[in-house]
Amino acid sequence: MPAGVHEAFVDVGGVKIRLLKGGAGAPLLVLHGSEGSLGWRHYAQALADHFTVYLPSHPGFDGSERPPWLNSILDLVCFYTWFLETQGLEGMRVIGWALGGWLAAEIAATTRHAFSKMLLIDAAGIRPQQGEITDLFILSPAQIRDLTFHDPQQVPEYAQLYPSEPSPAEREQAVQNREMAVRLTWKPYMHDPRLPALLARVTAPTRIVWGRQDQIIPVECGTLYHQAIPGSDLVVIEQCGHAPHLEKPDEFVRVAMDFLP
Amino acid sequence: MFLMRFTERAYVNYTAEDVKNSPNSAVRLTFSNRHFDPQRGADLYNMYLDEYEYCEEVGFDGLMLNEHHSTPTCLGATMNLEAAILARTTKKPKIVLLGNPLPIFDNPIRLAEELAEIDMISRGRLVSGFVRGTGVESLATNTNPLYNRERFEEAHDLIIKTWTTPGPFRWEGTHYHFRVVNPFETPLQKPHPPIWIPGTGSPETLEWCAQHHYPFVFLETDPDATVDMKAIYTDTARAYGYEPGPEHCGYLLRIHVQDTDDYAKEVGKGYLVGNVGVGRLPMPPDYMFPVGYSGRDPKYLALRERIRTDPFRVGGLDAAGYEAILAANRMIIGSPDTVIRKLREVLARVRPGILAVWTNDGSISHKDTMRCLELMGQEVLPALREIGTELELTDPFQQTP
Repeated sequence: MPAGVHEAFVDVGGVKIRLLKGGAGAPLLVLHGSEGSLGWRHYAQALADHFTVYLPSHPGFDGSERPPWLNSILDLVCFYTWFLETQGLEGMRVIGWALGGWLAAEIAATTRHAFSKMLLIDAAGIRPQQGEITDLFILSPAQIRDLTFHDPQQVPEYAQLYPSEPSPAEREQAVQNREMAVRLTWKPYMHDPRLPALLARVTAPTRIVWGRQDQIIPVECGTLYHQAIPGSDLVVIEQCGHAPHLEKPDEFVRVAMDFLP
Repeated sequence: MFLMRFTERAYVNYTAEDVKNSPNSAVRLTFSNRHFDPQRGADLYNMYLDEYEYCEEVGFDGLMLNEHHSTPTCLGATMNLEAAILARTTKKPKIVLLGNPLPIFDNPIRLAEELAEIDMISRGRLVSGFVRGTGVESLATNTNPLYNRERFEEAHDLIIKTWTTPGPFRWEGTHYHFRVVNPFETPLQKPHPPIWIPGTGSPETLEWCAQHHYPFVFLETDPDATVDMKAIYTDTARAYGYEPGPEHCGYLLRIHVQDTDDYAKEVGKGYLVGNVGVGRLPMPPDYMFPVGYSGRDPKYLALRERIRTDPFRVGGLDAAGYEAILAANRMIIGSPDTVIRKLREVLARVRPGILAVWTNDGSISHKDTMRCLELMGQEVLPALREIGTELELTDPFQQTP
C-alpha cells in the first residue's frame, strides 16, 4: 500500500465495512464491481493526486460485514445512502465500475442529493437490447478473467490482480465475493428493469466510459445509459475490454480528470 | 433387505464427439437440445416404462426414479409424471422417488398435491425422496444456488406441515409465503409417505437426515468414504438419542447380470461406451457446484475432511477405466454367481437395508436389459434376500427408522 493510503473498518448502522482511503482534496467515492475492490491500483493512486479517494468494500465483500437484511442491489442503495450520511459525504463525486456502476446509477436515480458528479465505467444495471450480459455464474474465475480484458498484455498490474499462487485465505475470500455477487444480482440477472425509466430523475452531471471490446457488458449498454441520463456524455475507449481503469489506466485517468474536477 | 430397480432412463442418440464440441464440453445444461429427437424420445419413454412394469413381475420391491434437467443422461425431467403412470399400471412395488429437487420449486404446495395424488392412485405405495438437486438443476430453473439449502429445508418443512396439519393455515417463511394453505387432497399413508434422502453425502445433509430419522441412500459412493459418512450420520443420531441400523442406510450401484461372465462384461461396457453416460466425463465445477451451492460453514468444511476422497470421481469414470471400476466393485457385472458373490462382500461392508440396483444405462440394449431383469428375478434377488437375512440387513418396512 502506498504511503498516505489507510485501511480501516468503518461503522454504518452497526455494520463494519472495509474502507481504503488516500489522497487529499474533495472526496471521491469509488464503487467496485462483482469481484471486490481489487485493492489500491494505479488509477486510484493517480486520482488521489487530486481527490481524497474513498474505496469501500461493499457489505459481504473483502471481509466487510453483511447485515442479514442486505440481499439485493436496492438494499445496497439503502446501505450506501446511510454510509454517505454517517461519513458526511453527501454530494461527493462518484465512480462506479460494473456492479458498482449499477449501484451508483441506482443511488443517483433514488437520492438526487447523493452525488455531485457521476462517472460510470462499463456499468451493469440495464438489459441490452441486442446482445446479452455474459452469464458470469456459469463460468470459472479463469474464464471470467480472460473475458475481462481485450489484451491482457496491456494490463500493467495483471500480476498483482491475479497472483499465480493465491493463499488459501485469498481463495476463500474470492469465493465469498462471488457468493455476494450471486446474492445481489441473480434475478433479474445483473439489471433492474425499472432503471432506464428512473434515470430520467438524475440531475448530477454524468460521464459514461466504456471499453469498445467489452465482452461482459456490451458497449450497447453505454449508449442506453447515455440515452437514459439527461445531459450525460459517453466516451468509448478503443482497443479496451470491460475494465478501462485497469487495462488502460493512463487513458482512463485522463478521461476521468477531463470530467471530474 | 429392500431391493429396488433403477435406471437414469438415458437418451441415447448422440456421440461423445457431440459433447466434446459443446460449450465447456459439458453433457448437461448447455448441451443443445437440437441433439434430441422426440420420435426417439417417444420410443424410449415407453420402453423404459415397459421395463419398470416388468420389474414388478420379476419381484423387485421398489421402482426407483430420479429427476434431472437439461441433460440427455436422464429423461426424467418430470419424474412425478412417470411415477403417476406406474402408480396406475403396477400393483405391488413401492414407487420410490429419489428425489424431487425441492429448491427449484417456487410452489411446494403443488408438489405436495402431486405426491398425495400419486400416493392415493398407487394405494399407498409412494416413497417420497427429496434432494437439493445438482447445480445444473438450479441453473436450468434459474434458482439462486445461494439459497439452495435454505429452500430445501423450508420447502420440506412446509410440505410435511401441509401433509400432517389440517388446513387452512398460513405460511410466512423466508422463501415461501402462502396466506391459505389448504390443499384438499392429502396422502393415503399416515402421517405421510416415507421420506428417504439420496445423495453423495455432504455432512450438512447427513446431519439433517439423521436429525429427521430419514434413511440416507448413498449414490455410488466409494465404500471407504461411505463408511466415513455413515459415521457422521451415526454420531448425529446418537446425539439425538437413537442408534441407527441398516434401515437408515441405502446404497446404489450399477449392477448388471447376464448368463455368463464374458457376455456380462461385454454388455456392461455399455455403461461407458456408445454415448456419454452418467459420470463418464468430468462436468465443469461451475455447473455442478455453482457459486453459493456449497456451504462455507467451517464446521462442515472440517467434517468433510473426515471423508476419504473417492479416487474414481476425480477425473470421471472414463479416466478411471472399466477394469479398475470392476476390480474395485464400483460396478458389479457378471454371471448371477459372480454378481451374488461380489454383492455379498459389498453388503457386508456397507450394510445397507436398501439396495438400489442400477441395471442398465448408456448403450445397453433393451434386449440385454430384459434378460438382465429376468436373471435378477430368477437368481439374484432370491439370493440377495437370503444374504440380507443372514447379515440382518433390516429395511425401513421391517423396522421403522
